[in-house]
Amino acid sequence: MEGMAGKRSSLSWAVNIAAFLLVLLWTIPTLGLFVSSFRDRDQIASSGWWQSFSASEQTGFVRTGTDDDARQEGGLYVIEGSVLEGDQQLVAWGTGARRPAEFQPGETARINDGWDLTVNADGSYRLTSAAPFEMRRGERIFTTTEVPPTITTANYQRVLTAEGLGRAFMNTMTVTIPATVIPILIAAFAAYALAWMQFPGRALLTAAVVGLLVVPLQVSLIPLLRLHNDLGIGKGYLGIWLAHTGFGLPLAVYLLRNYMVGLPREVIESARVDGATEFQIFRRIILPLSFPALASFAIFQFLWVWNDLLVATVFLGNTREQLVMTGVLRELMGSKGGEWEILATSAFISIAVPLIVFFAMQKYLVRGLLAGSVKGG
Amino acid sequence: MKTAFLTTAAVAALTAGLAQAQMVIEPGSDDRINWQSLEDFKAAHGDLEGQSFTILGPWLGEDQALFTSVLPYFEEATGAKANYSGSDSFEQQIVIDSEAGSPPDIAVFPQPGLAADLARKGHLTPLGEETAQWVRDNYAAGESWARLGSYAGADGAENFYAFPYKADVKSLVWYVPENFEDAGYEVPESYEDLKALTEQIAADGETPWCIGLGSGGATGWPATDWVEDLMLRLHSPEVYDAWTTNELPFNDPKVIAAIEEFGWFAKNDDYVAGGAAAVASTDFRDSPKGLFDFPPACYMHRQASFVPSFFPEGSEVGLDVDFFYMPAPADGSMGKPVLGGGTLFSVLSDNPAARAFVEFLKTPAAHEIWMTQKSFLTPHLGVDLEAYDSDTQKKLGQILLDASTFRFDGSDLMPGAVGAGAFWTAMVDYVGGKPAQDVADSIQNTWDTIK
Amino acid sequence: MELFWLAAGTIVIGVFGCVAWFWGSNWVLDAIYPPRGQNAGDNIRRANQIRPWLFLGPAILFLGMYLVYPVIDSLWRSLHSSDGSRFVGVSNYTWAAGDEKFRESMLNNMLWLLVVPALSTFFGLIAAQLTDRIKWGNIGKSLIFMPMAISFVGAGVIWKFIYEYRGPDETQIGLLNWLVTRLGGDPQIWLTLIPWNNFFLMIVLVWIQTGFAMVILSAALRGIPEETIEAAILDGASPMQVFMKIKVPQIMGTIAVVWTTITIVVLKVFDIVFVMTNGQWGTQVLANLMYDWMFRGSPDYGRGSAIAMVLMLLVTPIMVWNIINARKELR
Repeated sequence: MEGMAGKRSSLSWAVNIAAFLLVLLWTIPTLGLFVSSFRDRDQIASSGWWQSFSASEQTGFVRTGTDDDARQEGGLYVIEGSVLEGDQQLVAWGTGARRPAEFQPGETARINDGWDLTVNADGSYRLTSAAPFEMRRGERIFTTTEVPPTITTANYQRVLTAEGLGRAFMNTMTVTIPATVIPILIAAFAAYALAWMQFPGRALLTAAVVGLLVVPLQVSLIPLLRLHNDLGIGKGYLGIWLAHTGFGLPLAVYLLRNYMVGLPREVIESARVDGATEFQIFRRIILPLSFPALASFAIFQFLWVWNDLLVATVFLGNTREQLVMTGVLRELMGSKGGEWEILATSAFISIAVPLIVFFAMQKYLVRGLLAGSVKGG
Repeated sequence: MKTAFLTTAAVAALTAGLAQAQMVIEPGSDDRINWQSLEDFKAAHGDLEGQSFTILGPWLGEDQALFTSVLPYFEEATGAKANYSGSDSFEQQIVIDSEAGSPPDIAVFPQPGLAADLARKGHLTPLGEETAQWVRDNYAAGESWARLGSYAGADGAENFYAFPYKADVKSLVWYVPENFEDAGYEVPESYEDLKALTEQIAADGETPWCIGLGSGGATGWPATDWVEDLMLRLHSPEVYDAWTTNELPFNDPKVIAAIEEFGWFAKNDDYVAGGAAAVASTDFRDSPKGLFDFPPACYMHRQASFVPSFFPEGSEVGLDVDFFYMPAPADGSMGKPVLGGGTLFSVLSDNPAARAFVEFLKTPAAHEIWMTQKSFLTPHLGVDLEAYDSDTQKKLGQILLDASTFRFDGSDLMPGAVGAGAFWTAMVDYVGGKPAQDVADSIQNTWDTIK
Repeated sequence: MELFWLAAGTIVIGVFGCVAWFWGSNWVLDAIYPPRGQNAGDNIRRANQIRPWLFLGPAILFLGMYLVYPVIDSLWRSLHSSDGSRFVGVSNYTWAAGDEKFRESMLNNMLWLLVVPALSTFFGLIAAQLTDRIKWGNIGKSLIFMPMAISFVGAGVIWKFIYEYRGPDETQIGLLNWLVTRLGGDPQIWLTLIPWNNFFLMIVLVWIQTGFAMVILSAALRGIPEETIEAAILDGASPMQVFMKIKVPQIMGTIAVVWTTITIVVLKVFDIVFVMTNGQWGTQVLANLMYDWMFRGSPDYGRGSAIAMVLMLLVTPIMVWNIINARKELR
């Protein structure tokens, strides 16, 4: 007995470690995005996200004051100021772009035309000249500084306070919920018919559903929008619900049918013998037993509709009043799409609701007790 | 024109009964703006009360905010309501919407190629010869702009379909003046000087150029701009025109010379930051950042006038960074060619408010209101240059007005399969090591298959 | 608020409409052919011939309108010129057969079909089995599932932070190149390394689809009756044997479903390629090529549709296999 327990615990260790490694591998890429959503654009472009937790060396430059800031001190013209801000530590400095770290803090450098520049460790600088300064813009002081890790919530503030986000959230919900519920209902009935009812052409119809899974969305956009326009549905919620229902249906029927086929034959046969109608069998036996499959499909359909922008812009339109969340987030990224930090933040804001749905649905992913107890052999 | 009296009258008229909160500049308050032109427009089109129309365009984010800031002035003058919506997949959406029979009233095309295609399929409404003539008369290099919006319709007859509004200048080289000063480099005056400077920087052990072609789904397009600029510097504008219509085949020695000229810059490990291998995959949005590294990763970056939005935060154009005109050959044989781009407005329905909007775009005020804000250039000869928000913009606007030759981005003029496909891919292949002849042949092949 | 009522109203109307149809049509059927009285036997037989079609009706209507109709439309378009005005026979198909990019796409699609479904199903199965057996399984599941919840554009940026390349002297901001340089190697431009770049793109899809496989397979694994497993354990089977010999065969049907679904996702793969390379550097795939021809610049709908038809034909073997399978189930 003891030997077996030991074996079991070492095995469970192995399982834990293996699971941990797998989860880690799958999480690292997303973690990168998550960390990046707390950094500003320059940080993202200048160092890896994994380095954002350690103090980093940054190079940059500060301009000295100009003629207006100069004051006279004895025979000298002096400009003073500081090159540091916040918690930065000065490591080195320089006066030319090619050698930005030429001098140590405290050293004095002679700049071309008789000016002396001293930069101290505390960041204060002092530029002196015997003659009056003549400059259009401040002299550049290049600094290498050690910066403590900084995180910013500015990206989140910007995205969450974006104009029209609340409205867009409502729009998305209005699109998503019916577009998730309706296909499930329709597919469940169809899947039951394909799995448990006898009629000619059943196998062919099942295969047709599989075949329709592969229809690329892009080929359907023009004919369907034209159809909607001809039918007078035009662009609007009705159109997008119908479209999402149509596009989601093959996967729903396919997944549900394959699940229902696996349900214990005895239960259904005995119910039929007892004189239950097909409708009663469906409602009382099939639906409750199929909950895990219904829940998984609901999650996928929800996700797909939630993250969709293409179907929404085509079938709903994208004026201010019609915009869905993905549309607003896309707008924030600008025409040329270079704002990675907004993208990262948007991704995490839009991921929140689907994850809540996933958590909420998770307990339904376990098959009903009945199934296990009956199937037996 | 702008006497105090007229201005006051304009103010009185314009401020009557409107929601002023939406207007970025109170009518009449800024005398750089030609309020009288708005007033005249109102007199001619003030009878559209209660109408509305839709505009679909490629602008999002800041650009969208800037464009929609112009709309209230139109709405106030006419009483009609303009609904703009932007899309990041504009090309796809305009095709779907017009094919399916629910087009927007106005579409804003970033590329003439697509507009030409929709015109051929009969989706665009002609704007009339009068408007074409207006463009010829009132835009600098007006003939090139008018030609840009003229396409064959469904019946094969040539008509003016697309009104140009908002332009870009592409023949620009960006640099950090102080880095030039520190190293003792001079801004090149001629194309020969530019090449000499490139060699000199490399000889100094530094890297002259930052070039990045990466752009996700559109990777390769920055190289097409390079080749176009070089075409205009090696050959006459007529050769350029023949090239964009394929009268001059893509694999003509003249074109290959221009591609190889680009290779002189981009395929030399000593001339580009990260080495030639990095050119194709470096994102065009990231590549200008090399100018601002210490020590500098590069000294020059050729890119259009929009690029400052990808400079590090806080860099000020004119102070921290500046640009010079990509110079022409010293002998003056090519004049001062300018490569540019722009957006074109087309009407897709018979909505009178939409047609009135095109008339509105002819008023100097419609240009000046955007000019006072940000990132807007116009070839409109009737605008007040003082309206530009900065000296930089003014300098850019001046380049546009001074151009001896203005040529539109060639890849935008070519059929989409070439200009927004084969050309891009081929340039990526070229930078990746394929010979210029091979890639030019493959582009010409694609062009042949779509004829 | 108005919108809220609209949304709530539709859900109610939509859901109740569906329910009313299924319930009502059944009721009507039973009223016409009452399953009792003198003709009960006949009536039940007749009703049972009609009933499947009542259940299938709405689904067939939707599938017909939203999927079959567009397929017929693109078949028609694939036989016509770019603007649909001229019948051109099979010339769009012969063009495709001779097109270099099309061949490249076919080859790449085959590669994707071999690699992605296999790896996704494999990792999904492992993930399902492992997370079902540990205390923090639900959290683990959610983390593996998370990539599914991220939009493709988001995924593109995520992997940019992995594959990004900077010159050898610069700070690497791509994780992979950072690791490589740390280990003393030279940074690589991963997305342009032909042919390996195809695999770098595939990894992204595997990363996303594993969550799908895990969710479905986990539900199936939990459905295996406890008794069979306990019996095997009592017979002295090792955990590995239980997994391979008892569990996997029991859920073979579900594995096939997952495999099929991912295969079809792979056939349609578009966004990843579009966002990351747009089919350049030898990574073109059919769906992206189709998009190029349909919407880029001056679109040629005829050619785009021809490519779409080829893409749809590729699913035929799976359909045949499904027909055979369904016939088996009937027996």
